[in-house]
Formats: sequence, structure tokens, C-alpha cells
Amino acid sequence: MPAEHLAALLSARWGEPVAISGLKRFHGGSARQTYRFDATGASGRHEALVLRRDPPASLIETDRFTEFAALQAFHGSAVPVPEPVACETAAFGSPGFLMREVPGGMAAGLLEPEPYGAHAAAIGAQLFTALGHIHRADPAAAGLASVAAADAARLRLDHWRRAFEADRFRPEPIVEAAFRWLARTPVPAAQRVCVVHGDFRSGNVLHDGAGRLLAVLDWEMVHAGDPLEDLAWACDPLWSHMSGRPGATLPLREAVAAWEAASGLAFDAGAFRWWQVFAQAMGATIWISAAREIVDGRSHDPVLAFAGTLPYRFHMVTLSRLLEERW
Amino acid sequence: MSLVLPQLLDCLAAAMAAEVAPALQLHGTAGAPDPHYAGGSAATTALLLMLAASEARHIAARDAAANAAALADLGPAAAGRDLRAAAWGERLLAAEATGDGLAARAVLACLAAEAASEWASLVAGVGLPPPVPIAE
Repeated sequence: MPAEHLAALLSARWGEPVAISGLKRFHGGSARQTYRFDATGASGRHEALVLRRDPPASLIETDRFTEFAALQAFHGSAVPVPEPVACETAAFGSPGFLMREVPGGMAAGLLEPEPYGAHAAAIGAQLFTALGHIHRADPAAAGLASVAAADAARLRLDHWRRAFEADRFRPEPIVEAAFRWLARTPVPAAQRVCVVHGDFRSGNVLHDGAGRLLAVLDWEMVHAGDPLEDLAWACDPLWSHMSGRPGATLPLREAVAAWEAASGLAFDAGAFRWWQVFAQAMGATIWISAAREIVDGRSHDPVLAFAGTLPYRFHMVTLSRLLEERW
Repeated sequence: MSLVLPQLLDCLAAAMAAEVAPALQLHGTAGAPDPHYAGGSAATTALLLMLAASEARHIAARDAAANAAALADLGPAAAGRDLRAAAWGERLLAAEATGDGLAARAVLACLAAEAASEWASLVAGVGLPPPVPIAE
């Protein structure tokens, strides 16, 4: 990402010459390319900014501007998010947007044991409270097309089953069985159709290392739907850092209680069991799609290669056991 | 091996960041990554190498064991991951069609055992435990 492009864009927006320094790309985040940089105007104005733009090959097919609209909707609310600055179609070389950098923010690594240390309970309370607040939001406020409560599960199932069928490249009896189980197992209508973050998990939030949740990131999969979709994904064992606790934070009961208090919704254990299987089938599909990018030669990103290997095998273990239990 | 894995990964990441990426940029390679990004790529690549090495060490024995375990049920279709997976998939579909829960669970148990074995062989070299379920 040439700094000159950013300098030209910001000079035009600020009405003064702007110099760019400290430009670096963050590793990971395969759905978008993420860069941070410092912008300094001739007047001395300084801003630390983050650019998120579409890559040529993406782990997840995304709507280009949905994430920006979600940040706009939640900025200044009880859900901490980075401040959105500008969204552009062509100025960054591909569609993308700028947001303010969250200073001092740290994200948990997938294989990092106990990433929050002694602050696990405090982070968990804030994490699941933030999720509950997201689920209070009206999808229309985030520019999202609503869905009927009775259709929320079926639409998501259709979406991910199509993605699986499009990207599968070898026999996958466990994933096939999961999609069949989901199709034949009734699931109650959503208690409330709300904003669903779509990828709410430990690695997609920033914390300060001292027990404070700073920001919820990575809104590229946001959509209107059933809040239990997010809750099941957030509580998936893959994101537990091998702790047996959702997000390596609170025990499940306490996480659910924090979410209930913030969302005003009642936890439906039966529906949650359906969404747990859905979460793992969705995860497996994402990992298969990542592997397909490598197999077809469209990408050599080691993050995609990793996604197609370790998380894939993790979910094959947990999903096969889940199906065996629930038959 | 005298260095522990994190040290090896850090070393590889630092070498990529400090030497390989700047060299690419000096050479004028179009789209060369910045050192920070290249360091992250190097660390992930190093982890993939460790996983691949572990997989390479265990795959023959793992596949032979899975083949042997499935031979009585699947016969010649037990040979090789894809053939075996397709055959288990057909068995599962047939069990579902007749509502035979016992048969379906038996197939799922076989698939789960092979998945657990695939996980174990992948992560043996990096010391990860088996997947831990969320405690209810």
C-alpha cells in the first residue's frame, strides 16, 4: 500500500499537505488487509489510523462497506469499537476504509494459553456484556436488511451449505453429516432478530492487558439474524484457548448470564444446541474454503494454509463428537 | 534440538523481518511485504513447518492404523483417507435413511477416532493437547 496514495487522500480531506509515516501491515486477518500508519499534517495535526481494505483473495466473501456501516452504528454506544473515519471505493487500490487506531490494544493469539491471565473473569464479563449489547441493536440502524425470525436459521444454513458445496474438494463425511443434521433438526424461531456480529470471538477483540476490553473488531461478517448464532460461535471450543471456558474467560453459565443481562434475552438451551452444531459446520466450511484457496493456487498466504490445517482438524474432532452425542 | 520452539520461531521471524523483506524491497520486487508483515508470515510459516514435520513423521503409521481399523467394515474401501471417508459417508447416509441410530453412531465414532488421530499426529511436534470441550 503506497504511502503516497494515503497522503494524497488525507491531504484532500484535511485541506493541507499530509505526510505518512510508520506504515506497516498487520499479519493475519485474511478477510481484509489491515495497515496502521501515522498521518501528520503541515499544521501539526496528527492522527494514528488503521486502513482495512479488500485483498485480491479473501478467506470470506465480504460485502465491502458493511463493516464500515457497523462501526458507524456502534461508535459511541455501549459496544466499544474503533472510530470510523472514511470509506472509499478506489482510493486505497481496492475498496476499504479508515478508522482510528485503538492505542495499547492487544488481541489474543489462537494458541496462546490463558491470554487474559488473572483478568480472565473481568474480560469475560465485558466480552459477553458487549455481545449482549450488540444483540439489543436494531439491524436497520446498521444498514442491514432484516429477516423474518422464523427464517433466520434456515437462511444461515443455506448460506453456509452453499459455500461448503462450492469449495469442498475431497470427501468430507463429518461436515456433510453436520449439514444434514442441521437440516432435519427443528430450531425455534429467533427470539429477536438483531445485529449479529458474525465473527465474535477472543481473537477479534482488543484488551489493554489489565482487564479492560477496548474494542470489538472485524465486523465484516455482520448481518441480521438470531443472536444465538453469535453466542454459539463465541463459545465454540476452538476459541477457548484449550481452557474449557468460552474465550478463555468465564465458565459457560456465567458467560451466558452476562449475555442475558445485557441483551434482555433468555437463554434457550435447546436452540443453543442447534447453533453449536451450526457454528462448527460454519467453521469447518471456512477452513475448507481457506484450504481451497491454497489448493487452487489463488493464494500462498500462510494464514490461509494454517486455517486449512489446524483449525480444520480441531473442528473435525469436536464436530464428529458433537454429532455422535446428538444423534 | 537445544532451542525451544518459541525461540526458533522468533529467530525465523526476526530473520525474515530484518533480512529477507528488506532485501526484497531493495531489489524492487513489486508488492514486497513490509518487514513487520513479513515477520508475521515467517512466524506462521515456521509453525506450518513444525506441523508439517509432525504430520510427515506420523502419517504412514496413522493411515495404516485407520485402514486396519476400517478393513473389516469397509474392505478395499478402507485404503486411503479419501476412499475411506467416502465409504464412511455412504454408510452414514444409509443409516440416516433407515433411522438406524446405532449404525449412525458407530460410523460417527469411527470418524471421530480418525479425526482425533489426525489431530494428534499434526500437533505432536508442537505440544498441543487434544481439543478441550466447553464445560457445561
